[in-house]
Amino acid sequence: MIAEEPRVDATRVTELAQSLETELARLIVGQKALLRDTVIALTAGGHVLLEGVPGLGKTVLVRSLGQTLSMSFSRIQFTPDLMPADIVGTNIIGDTDGRREFHYQAGPIFANLVLADEINRATPKTQSALLEAMQERTVTVGTQTRPLPSPFFVLATQNPIELEGTYPLPEAQLDRFFFKILVPFPSEGDLLEIARRTTGDSTPQLKSVADAGAILTAQRTAREVPIAEHVLRYAARLVSATHPDRSELDSVRRYVRWGASPRGLQTLVLAGKVRALLEGRYNVAFEDLNSVAQPALRHRIFLQFEAEADGITADRIISEILEHTAKEPASK
Amino acid sequence: MSSLEAIVRELRKAARRALGARYAAHALVGAVAWVAAVMILVRLVPFERRAELAVLGIPVALAIAAAAWLIRRPSAALLMAMADIRLGLKERLSTAWERRAESGPLDDAQRHDAVQHAARASLPAAFPVRVNRGEATLVAILAIFALALALLPNPMDQVLAQRQADRVSQARAAKAVADAKKKIADSGKPSPKDAQIQKILQDAQAKIHEADSPRKALESITPAEQQLQKLADPGTPALQSSAQNLANALSGTAAGRSAAQAISTNPAKGAQSVRDLASQLHSLSPKDREELAKALAKASQQAQNSQMRDSLSKASSSLQSGDAASAAQALNDVASQLDSLQEQENTDQAVAAAINGLEAARQGLAAQADRDANGQGGQANAGASPSAGASGNGNGNGTGTGTGTGNGNGSGTGNGTGTGGTGGTGGTGGTGSNGSGTGSGSGAASTERIYVPGQPVPGQSENDPTPLGPGQDVPLSPYTQVIEAYQQAALDATDQSLIPGSERDLVREYFSQLGEPRAAK
Repeated sequence: MIAEEPRVDATRVTELAQSLETELARLIVGQKALLRDTVIALTAGGHVLLEGVPGLGKTVLVRSLGQTLSMSFSRIQFTPDLMPADIVGTNIIGDTDGRREFHYQAGPIFANLVLADEINRATPKTQSALLEAMQERTVTVGTQTRPLPSPFFVLATQNPIELEGTYPLPEAQLDRFFFKILVPFPSEGDLLEIARRTTGDSTPQLKSVADAGAILTAQRTAREVPIAEHVLRYAARLVSATHPDRSELDSVRRYVRWGASPRGLQTLVLAGKVRALLEGRYNVAFEDLNSVAQPALRHRIFLQFEAEADGITADRIISEILEHTAKEPASK
Repeated sequence: MSSLEAIVRELRKAARRALGARYAAHALVGAVAWVAAVMILVRLVPFERRAELAVLGIPVALAIAAAAWLIRRPSAALLMAMADIRLGLKERLSTAWERRAESGPLDDAQRHDAVQHAARASLPAAFPVRVNRGEATLVAILAIFALALALLPNPMDQVLAQRQADRVSQARAAKAVADAKKKIADSGKPSPKDAQIQKILQDAQAKIHEADSPRKALESITPAEQQLQKLADPGTPALQSSAQNLANALSGTAAGRSAAQAISTNPAKGAQSVRDLASQLHSLSPKDREELAKALAKASQQAQNSQMRDSLSKASSSLQSGDAASAAQALNDVASQLDSLQEQENTDQAVAAAINGLEAARQGLAAQADRDANGQGGQANAGASPSAGASGNGNGNGTGTGTGTGNGNGSGTGNGTGTGGTGGTGGTGGTGSNGSGTGSGSGAASTERIYVPGQPVPGQSENDPTPLGPGQDVPLSPYTQVIEAYQQAALDATDQSLIPGSERDLVREYFSQLGEPRAAK
């Protein structure tokens, strides 16, 4: 008899994700894909770069997420004069038992959930302050390295317009983000619903549905989801296909300057595992990879100037890759 | 057995069915394509066994497809992966099968999930037995194409009919030669050169049979005829003439009358009768002896064979001198020469029969070669077909040998009639060649003179070119004699080189047309 109780209760992850999505949906109208991708990134332990024009609810989403999770939340408004110390903290002179000595004043980065609002308005120096925090989940000030709280989840937003006076995120910084999620403009029906919900005498109050422990358990469970060899090879082929020197697609060879890094593959597989769990499955399917390919790879594909001139986007390139990459069955 | 293995077993069964149907369709496409290809091929290349060749492709295609079907056994992992894709199981089965021996935290749950979903799905539906529309269309197109090619007139049919006619013609020619062999063997007149004649005919028959075409077969006939002609003894006519003169001379004597009749009947009997006469010389009356001596002397004077002349002269002189023993000895010598004549005649007849057979073969082959050259190769075949024979209009190539005998004219062959194949009217008989005979002009029946190369015309001497004096008429030669001499010379000339049989027949036809007015007279 095969049926046995799994040692890891994967259904809890599904329930957690569903309750998170349900709770967020009370305030965030429509945007199901946005919510799903955000929950996937949270469950996978990755950071998210939200890109959208002002007023689409990016900040509201992150703030709402902070409300639904019983975790510390901090918001950093990135501006050109923001300094790294404003983020990671600094040593300041204080009075302790009559003695004046330096002690570390933690910055807003020390929170489970960090909203880096309009991240592209800060200088590269300040943006770089996030590098160590996002990848190593530690902060080094002076000679001391301090661990960040776990889970640590950065949601950054950026505005694709009003680019004057902004500092585009460097490739290394972009690669730190698990997903880059594009926030679409709501549909007409969603707009009506937004108007109804937010212009009345009361706004929905969100309740907490998960704590840090539940998130960490979900992250560990997600990593246990099995993936078949041929599905894994498919993921690798997808990532390889983003490279102009390896792809058979003319569009990739013509428009792509640099393809996704190995971190892109890791993201693809991990996000696929989380999505499988959220879909109530215990294995990664091709459709999981296809579903997460856009947010996982779009910020890891760097296009030529010619692509911009021809109106070619990374999403279009990824769509072509998905269309032309074979889902070969296992050969043995 | 785990549920996963049961799933694999069920999938494998379904896959075998689906693959079987697919390979059967492939085999059908292959078979029909083969037939169509054969139909195209037989329009480009003359091929006789086209039906067998076309049909051969069907079992071959089926066998290849069956072998491929038996050899190809998709792996369990492949079956699972394909079932995942086709049944929308989202890689559940393939993952479960791949990790069937793993014991990770979620592996058991994953396998359980996979089995549950498989139980809800119809696994055979992953490998449905269905006809590929493209293949079905291809089969239909190829079948129509092949059928059209089979029904439309094929230009190669004429070539094949010509080949068939060629083969029939060669077979008939070979049979004509074989008939000649049999006739010689059954003649009851053995000659010392029978074995050589049989060997020559055997070789000619084999060459005719194995030749690529009637034209090639014709090339083997002339050398055979030349070989046969070499076997004939050129001295036979002179000896025959001498024997006939002896018979004529003896017929006027009382003692030699029976010997004369025997010699006229055939030389062998004549020899025995002469020996009997030699043994009875001592009992003859002086008058009979004298009469016999005169007859022998006359025969000696007319004899063209020197040995015969010497023996007859010696016998005559011995009788006149009363030496019966010497005369008897001389007559015994004459008897021996008559025996020799009998052997020579037997050989000549055998050679003539052999040449007749070869000529009959030549006629058929030459006619077919002409038809081939004119692109009418199929006609002979049509004439030889059973239906044509049933109507009574078949062209049978009968062979026959007419043997004319006459007093003093030896034997000749030609213008005989024979019967052709069943239902056919009798064909033209073999033309006689080398028929030879010399006569003294005293024959009772057939006295037609036949020109023999190298032999003087009877009654004339080859060494008698007497110059014409003033007022003398030019000596006239018989028309038939001149025509036949020319014909033989022309045919001999054509024999000297590899002149096609059809051309040789033109020469023959020309002379036969010249001979027609004579025959009418």
